[in-house]
Amino acid sequence: MAQTTSPATEAGAGCPDGPGGPDGPGGVDGPGGVDGADNAARSTARDPADSGETDVVGLGKWRASAFVAPALVLVAIFLVFPALWTLYIGITNYRLTGIAARVPEFVGFDNYVRAVGDANFLNSLYLTLIFVLFSAVIGQNGLGFALAWRLQDVRGWVRRLVESLVLLAWILPSSIVAFLWIALLDRDSGTLNALLGTPGLAWLIEYPMVSIIIFNIWRGTAFSMLLYSAALASVPPSQLETATLVGASRWQTLRDVIFPHVRGHVLTNTLLISLWTFNDFTPFLITAGGPDGRTETLPVYIYNTAITGGQMGYGAAVSLIMLLINLVIAIFYLRLLRERR
Amino acid sequence: MAEIELVGLSKVYPGDVRAVDSLDLTIPDHEFFALLGPSGCGKTTLLRTIAGLEAATEGQVRIGGEDVTALPPGKRDLAMVFQDYALFPHMTVVDNIAYPLRVKGKPKDERREAASAAGDELSLSGLMERRPAELSGGQQQRVALARAVACRPRVFLFDEPLSNLDARLRLEARSFLKKLQKELGVTTVFVTHDQAEALAMADRIAVMDKGKIRQVGTPKEVFQRPVNTFVANFIGSTPMNLLPGVVSGDVVQIAGQELPLPADVRDAVSAGQEVVFGARPEYLVFSPSSVPESLQGEVTVVENLGTAALVTLEAEGLSVAVTVPEGAEPELGDKGWVTTTPGRVLIYDGADGELVGSRVPAATAA
Repeated sequence: MAQTTSPATEAGAGCPDGPGGPDGPGGVDGPGGVDGADNAARSTARDPADSGETDVVGLGKWRASAFVAPALVLVAIFLVFPALWTLYIGITNYRLTGIAARVPEFVGFDNYVRAVGDANFLNSLYLTLIFVLFSAVIGQNGLGFALAWRLQDVRGWVRRLVESLVLLAWILPSSIVAFLWIALLDRDSGTLNALLGTPGLAWLIEYPMVSIIIFNIWRGTAFSMLLYSAALASVPPSQLETATLVGASRWQTLRDVIFPHVRGHVLTNTLLISLWTFNDFTPFLITAGGPDGRTETLPVYIYNTAITGGQMGYGAAVSLIMLLINLVIAIFYLRLLRERR
Repeated sequence: MAEIELVGLSKVYPGDVRAVDSLDLTIPDHEFFALLGPSGCGKTTLLRTIAGLEAATEGQVRIGGEDVTALPPGKRDLAMVFQDYALFPHMTVVDNIAYPLRVKGKPKDERREAASAAGDELSLSGLMERRPAELSGGQQQRVALARAVACRPRVFLFDEPLSNLDARLRLEARSFLKKLQKELGVTTVFVTHDQAEALAMADRIAVMDKGKIRQVGTPKEVFQRPVNTFVANFIGSTPMNLLPGVVSGDVVQIAGQELPLPADVRDAVSAGQEVVFGARPEYLVFSPSSVPESLQGEVTVVENLGTAALVTLEAEGLSVAVTVPEGAEPELGDKGWVTTTPGRVLIYDGADGELVGSRVPAATAA
């Protein structure tokens, strides 16, 4: 049963699951989708030239299909069916328990109407946007760029140490980092309180949102740092030296030479980390959405209503809304990326 | 416009790699000066040290009498053109040319005016609103030059600016660049690994090897009278013949044969001394029949140079190259005799490769 909601929450729970990958039944993985489109365009352009020559191995249509079939069956079972199932139960009053679990009734768009008017949902949406803005767009982006910028000319053990530490935060499993942060922020015997000399301060209750924002910056900065390191390395040294020779300041060099070169990287990075953060389920492992819903971002909200609260139909509807918001974000960035080339 | 003066300049990289080794050099005002050498000889490092992109380990860089060693590149009032031109791809031609002025905080009108003046000078007037990607290699190179010209610096530094052009365009750019430099009169230091380019363009050339200058002189001096075997070998489109021999009275014994020892060095060498007999293929005369005071050999290679042929003779394991005018080319396997042109023979010490009698200003250097 829990599988039913998987398309939406799965994307959220696996925060650092690489660049989206070819999963995602919807268009959650924006760049992946674009690549696919490009490839498709290219291959159709190529096809007429070597039509008839495409069957290089000589398998024939049927045997070739047989090789692909197992993969397609798996995709159908684990991606297509749950996605369609989610769409279906989104328009029913399906519940985990009770009468509605046996005989779900068709309720049309009631779930969607209810969500749009639901203060809890709107609050979750607001919290999610705040979470994305501060922890991803500003936090991870800014810190990642700053680290990459600062480490540019640093070589040797200092660089390796910083990179390893930052990467470590990224590659540790969610459950472990959640435990580490709970231990760090614990009210009675937390490391942070011991360091600051503020015994008894309950960070997760007093500053829940700030805590998970800082947590997510810490967690995800590695990706931005690596991406920006690569981007900065691609700026031709002669252009930087030209700027130096004409007496440009660091800021002028950044604005006139470096930023125009890495602009595409900034947009791509912001798109990826925005979507990952939007769908991130890890805060649940630290605060479970509490206290009193103050850290209940959308993925957590969906989990709490659909699985804990048993309102599967409503949860499915919210999942679809979330997917649509993801799409809007992706399209917005992609537009920006294409526009000013 | 200013004189450049390098005093005991060294650049040492970690691991005691001396890229530039205690170098003294003065480049007078208005001069077009070439730094020439094989790759890794330190010529680019020297240029970058003058620019301030590399910090000097020891010594001084003086521009216009002022010590600029400690000044950042932006304060040295010089402009550099890079091999890849380093144009900003996101800026139009006019913005690229005006960029140095923008950094200097000049008002927009003045910037555009200076940029279009520099653009006109380099015949870019129709291309000012284009992006670098829409220009050909030659045009990009002129944009890079225009950017250097527009800010009216005291010194131009060119780092192999012609190497990215194709052969024909390179020839055009050579004369164009030389003319431009003469018109502007800006002191120019030019790095190249192409000896023909240096000979064609420069007022004076410094030939570098392993961080040291091996010879400084006008193209004529460097070509006609290389002061050591390194320069002799490096300069010239056909390498100079450097034949090991032993002095014996008035002759040098080479591969069991004898060639006359030039009169002007007879006092500078002693009998039995090992020397290197240097003569350019262009200054040797080929004869198909036996002549006195010549080196005899068998023709093994004939290379066509267009108006002449480069003939290689083998004489007891030694090869001698000589140019033969068109129409007189011998056949492979023919016997041939080679005689020297008086005053065009250079004798180098066999031990250190330095020119014998180089302290005496010779008539050949005229």
